[in-house]
Amino acid sequence: MQTPPIIDVQSIDKFFYTPERLQALNRVSCSVAPGEVVVIIGPSGSGKSTFLRCLNRLEYADSGHIIIDGVDILDPKCDINAIRAEVGMVFQSFNLFPHKTVLDNLTMAQMTVRGRSKQEAEAKGMALLEKVGIAEKFAVKPDQLSGGQQQRVAIARSLAMDPKIMLFDEPTSALDPEMVGEVLDVMKNLAREGMTMVVVTHEMGFAREVADRVLFMDKGEILEQGAPEHFFTAPTHERTKEFLGQIL
Amino acid sequence: MATYTGLDRPKSKLYYQFWSIVFILGLCGSMALLYFATKKVEYIWRWNRVPQYFLYEEKVTIRAEMEGKIVSIDPAGAEGKNVRVLVRGDDGEETHELPKESLLLSSGDHVYAGDNIGYYTHWKPGILVEGLWLTLEVSFLAIIFGIVLGLFTGLARISDNPALRWGAITYIELIRGSPLLVQIFLWYFVVGTVINSILAQSGFGQISPLWFGVMALAIFTGAYTAEIVRAGIQSVHRGQMEAARSLGMTYAKAMRKVILPQAFRRILPPLAGQFISLVKDSSLLGVLSIRELTKASREVVSSSLQPFEIWIVCAILYLVLTFTLSMFVQYLERKAI
Ligand SMILES: Nc1ncnc2c1ncn2[C@@H]1O[C@H](COP(=O)(O)OP(=O)(O)O)[C@@H](O)[C@H]1O
Ligand SMILES: [Mg+2]
Repeated sequence: MQTPPIIDVQSIDKFFYTPERLQALNRVSCSVAPGEVVVIIGPSGSGKSTFLRCLNRLEYADSGHIIIDGVDILDPKCDINAIRAEVGMVFQSFNLFPHKTVLDNLTMAQMTVRGRSKQEAEAKGMALLEKVGIAEKFAVKPDQLSGGQQQRVAIARSLAMDPKIMLFDEPTSALDPEMVGEVLDVMKNLAREGMTMVVVTHEMGFAREVADRVLFMDKGEILEQGAPEHFFTAPTHERTKEFLGQIL
Repeated sequence: MATYTGLDRPKSKLYYQFWSIVFILGLCGSMALLYFATKKVEYIWRWNRVPQYFLYEEKVTIRAEMEGKIVSIDPAGAEGKNVRVLVRGDDGEETHELPKESLLLSSGDHVYAGDNIGYYTHWKPGILVEGLWLTLEVSFLAIIFGIVLGLFTGLARISDNPALRWGAITYIELIRGSPLLVQIFLWYFVVGTVINSILAQSGFGQISPLWFGVMALAIFTGAYTAEIVRAGIQSVHRGQMEAARSLGMTYAKAMRKVILPQAFRRILPPLAGQFISLVKDSSLLGVLSIRELTKASREVVSSSLQPFEIWIVCAILYLVLTFTLSMFVQYLERKAI
């Protein structure tokens, strides 16, 4: 018997009405064990972001169940803010708070959500900036940092909440090529330390090296999944082969 | 300096000097033109009559309050410029302090109640200064209420709750769709009459027209401010709200700590424009017999018969107010970076 999954998604659907009905997720099920690193790949518009955003309810799935650490987040009575504090999210466009310094970006939620004192939050913030390698920039505003540095701050901001799960939505897609490495290094370290991670990315090298499992999504469905070596060497599905052929 | 520097051939130094001189000549020229035109219609400029409407020396006569006899006149006050007059009668004593040179009576004189003993003078703010002050007061109150109202209406306008959202839309559309002057009349002659009648029936005091004026201005400004606030909030990238919420912050906390501070800087310039309009629109309150700057000017014009000077001064005073406001907002804008 395995340890119970920390993320358990049971057959969720998600529709958008824009205004024509569009099914972004179609009966998606998936569970993630604690400490597991899951990489999601798939063509643009296949529902990867939507799936990820459903996991911390930035999108509200229309049906099914999403159990995060034992709590069904689609239950209207659940305290979603408490769940979100446990689930870090890193965005493609960083979304740092431009009016705050780097350190304040890291301390704001610690103080308002976790209720930590300023000293405590700043100590934690500085330690994390040290860890992602930009402690010397703690006093500047985000717009004075390069893309890679901003994304590392964004990761540190999420980690400051001591999350149990980290979600990454194409964290390196908005970066200049020479900065991709520094962000991936931070993520690799995190994976090595045993963080549960769900990562949407096109970085196949990262998937090969770090992922415990790779999911391939197409048209709102998880078409195929498996360990990276199986996945990249012997994909079974025709669409998967086609997609891998295009990007590798 | 210019908006699109570098798109055209660089201008020579002479170019700027020439057109600066043209500007200054144009300015002086129009003033001279105005001056000679008024000469033509034989208007006599009397600028020396204007200062008294800013500050004047009021003469207050001092009268005896009872019948009696002046028993003593002693030096009093600083440097002995004043005298203290003691009047003793059948009903007791009274003293008056007044400047020595204004004294009309001497010791031993008999006075009746109401008799003129002397006078003193003091400086008082003139009617224009009082009007300016009232304009300032009314505008300040209306701006404060307008900001609060606008902020909450703006938030209601983007709320998911239909009652809040439609309420905000109805309010904004109603207010923007009718003239401010009509709204002022409605507030005073309809709402004011109703409220004051009810107050009178229940034995309470009346609310002065000033408050209905302030209310009309605040509610008018609130509607425009709400739209400015809404646009400001919506101009902040939605990723900001998502980032804040994904960290576990509540909607209210995310709004207060992340969205509004960013929106604030962007809404400052249109907000400044709105509040400058408000200061100018407060001139309409004269119709409720509130003696703000414009009404005060009108009264001065009818008593002084110097309309040219007074209306120019009136306009300049408004300009001083609005310019100060605009400087203050620019200062805030620089600080909020
Ligand atoms: N907020 C939204 N409103 C309407 N349609 C959306 C929204 N978000 C995503 N979609 C649609 O859902 C589909 C899946 O999008 P997404 O999850 O972003 O794909 P991916 O991240 O795999 O590129 C796309 O067709 C997209 O246009
Ligand atoms: Mg995406």
